[in-house]
Amino acid sequence: MAETGLRIKGLRASVEGNEILKGIDLVVEPGSVHALMGPNGSGKSTLAFSLTGHPSYLVTAGSASLDGEDLLALAPDKRAKAGLFLSFQYPSAIPGVAVGNFLRSARQALHPGDLPPAKFRKMIYEKLDVLEMDASFLPRYVNDGFSGGEKKRLEMLQLAMLAPKYAILDETDSGLDVDALEAVGATVNALRASEEGERTGYLIITHYPRILKYIKADKVHIMLDGAIVTSGGPELADVIERDGYDHIREEVAGGVA
Amino acid sequence: MVSLSEPGSRSAVHGVSKAALDALIATHGEGAIPAQMRYDALARFEELPVRQVIRGGRTWRQDLSKLDLSEIDVLDTLYADAVSGGLTARGVIVTDFDTAKAQFPEEFARAFGAAVDTRDDKFASLALAFQHGGTFVWIPDGVQAEEPIEICYEPSGAAFPYTLVAVGSGASATILERITSDERASFLCGIGEIVLGEHASLRYTIDQSAGPASRAILTRRAALGKDATLTLALAELGGEHVVERIRVVQREHGGNVEITAFFFANGDQHVDLETEVVHAAGATRSGTLVRSAGTGRGQGRYLGNIKILKAAHGADATLRDDALLLSQEAHVDSIPALEIAANDVKAYHGATVGAISEDEIFYAQTRGLSRPDAERMIALGFFEPAIARFPGEALRERLRAALVAKLDL
Repeated sequence: MAETGLRIKGLRASVEGNEILKGIDLVVEPGSVHALMGPNGSGKSTLAFSLTGHPSYLVTAGSASLDGEDLLALAPDKRAKAGLFLSFQYPSAIPGVAVGNFLRSARQALHPGDLPPAKFRKMIYEKLDVLEMDASFLPRYVNDGFSGGEKKRLEMLQLAMLAPKYAILDETDSGLDVDALEAVGATVNALRASEEGERTGYLIITHYPRILKYIKADKVHIMLDGAIVTSGGPELADVIERDGYDHIREEVAGGVA
Repeated sequence: MVSLSEPGSRSAVHGVSKAALDALIATHGEGAIPAQMRYDALARFEELPVRQVIRGGRTWRQDLSKLDLSEIDVLDTLYADAVSGGLTARGVIVTDFDTAKAQFPEEFARAFGAAVDTRDDKFASLALAFQHGGTFVWIPDGVQAEEPIEICYEPSGAAFPYTLVAVGSGASATILERITSDERASFLCGIGEIVLGEHASLRYTIDQSAGPASRAILTRRAALGKDATLTLALAELGGEHVVERIRVVQREHGGNVEITAFFFANGDQHVDLETEVVHAAGATRSGTLVRSAGTGRGQGRYLGNIKILKAAHGADATLRDDALLLSQEAHVDSIPALEIAANDVKAYHGATVGAISEDEIFYAQTRGLSRPDAERMIALGFFEPAIARFPGEALRERLRAALVAKLDL
C-alpha cells in the first residue's frame, strides 16, 4: 500500500523566474493538523498554489504526493479529485454563478452521485448553521460583492461540503473578527468530529498564532525565505506570539554562523 | 388571432426596387401604409447612406457586406401569430397590422407614427416601404392586461412586419415577441413601435431565435408618456446576420426605462446591437444592462448611447455593458457613450471587454471542475445577470439552454 499523507519533498518553485520555494519538506498525516507560520513574503501562499497547481507557479524540483498519488503530474481539478482542497486567501468572484449551484457542481465533481438533492440540501443547511450563515447566501453569486468575512465563510462552507482528504487553509484567519474566527474554528472542528471528515489532514497557513486557539495544531512549522527553518509542537506558536519572527530569524542566523 | 398572409404568387420581380413595390401594391393593395408613403420611404432607402458612427476616433459602420437584397422576393409570406390571452373582452385589441387600420381606424391613427420617424433611417424606410404583415396591440386606458400577449413571427423568405403597440393611460401589459425561422434563408426587415401613455406600464420581451440562415434588420422605437414605465428585455440568439436598433425617448416627466439585452455570436454569426435612451424631460430614469459575447468566428458590436438633454433635470441614467471573448477569432466591439447636456443629473456607465479570467478558472478547478466545465460555467454566469431580468423561469431556462447549445457547438 502506498504511503498515506500529503508528502512534500525538496519542493522548489518559482514565479515569473524568481525562486520562492527553496526546498520544502513536510508531511501532513491523515487526521493531523499542521500549522505553517511565517511572515509575509516567506513563501507560504506559493506553497499552497504550487501544491494545487496554479498555472503561474512553476515547480522546478522536488515532489508532492497525496496518499501515494503524484500531485504534480495532475491538472488542478484532478488534484481536487485526489482529495486536496485550498481555502483561498483571496477567493475569486464568479459573477452569475449562484453559491448553491456552485456547491452542487463541486460536490458532484468530487463525490459523484453520492447525495440526492434532498440530502444535499439538508447537508448545506447543517453546514450553514455551524457557520452562522443563513440560506440567503445560496442564491448570491460566488464571492461577488462579498465582504472579506463572507468570502472566508464561503471558503469554510466549501470545505465542509467537500470534505477533502487534505485541506490547506491559506490565511483563512486574516482580516476576520473574533465571531468569524470562531465560526471558522467551529467548521473545522465539526468536520473533524464527523465521520466524513475525521481523517482530513490540515495545513493551516497563518501569519498570526490566534487561529490556533480555535483549531489545535499537532505540529507547527516556521517558514522563512522559502524554507522551513524549524518545526515543533503547539508551544512553538506561543514562542512566535511572544517573541515574533525576528527571534527565530536571529536564532537561525546564529545557528548557521 | 392567426393570420397567415395569403400565399404570394411568386413575383417575377426580385429585389427592393420600385417595380417590386408596384408588384406588392398590385398584389396586396396598399394596406395600412398609403402607397405614396411607401414610395417616399423607398426613395429615402435608396438615398440614405449606410449608418456610420464615429466614437473616440473610431468609425463604427453597419457592416452590410453580407447583405444582398437583389434576390429577395417582397411577396414572400410571413407567418404571424398573436395570442391575446382572452383579453379582448376588456377592449384590448390584438390584430393583424394590415387590417388594424380598417377595423380600428381611430386607435390606429392615434398610435401609428407616435414613436417612429423613418425619415432619417435607411432600413426603417425600407421596412415601411414594403410593410406587409405585422401586429397591432392596443391596451385601452386603465386596463391591466395581466395575461401575456404573445406575438410570433416566422419569416420564410423576405418579410417586412410592422409591430405597433400602444398602452393607454394607467394601463399595463406584458408582451412576449418571439422570432423563429427554419433552416432556410430568410430576410426580416421590420419596425417595432411602442407608444406608452401617462402612467402606462409595459413589459416587452423579445426572444429572437431565428434560424441559422436568417438575416434581420429591426428598428424599434418607443415613446414614453409622463411617469410611464418600459421594461424591455431582448435575447438576441438566432440569425446569421442581425442588426437590431432600439431607441427609447422620454419626452415627458418621470418616465422609467429598463433595458436588458444580450447576444452570443457563435459560428459565423454577426450581431449588431444598438440601444439609445434619450432623456428629454425631468426626473426620467433609465437603466441599461447589456451582456455580449463571441465565440468561434462570431462577430458582435454593441453601441450603447445615453443622451440627457438640457431639460432633463434630475435625470438618472446607468449603462452597463460587458463583453466576453471566448475564442481567438471572435470579435466583439462594445462602445458605450453618455452625452449629457444637463447639470443636475446622475449618470453612470461602465464597460468591460475581455476573456474569462484565469484566476476564476483556477478557483473553479480547485473545486473539482475540469477546465472546460469551469469555462462553461463561468461563461453562462456571465449572461446570468441579464437572464435574471427576463420574466418567467420557463423562458429563463430556455434562454440558458440556447446559450449552452451555442457553447457546446
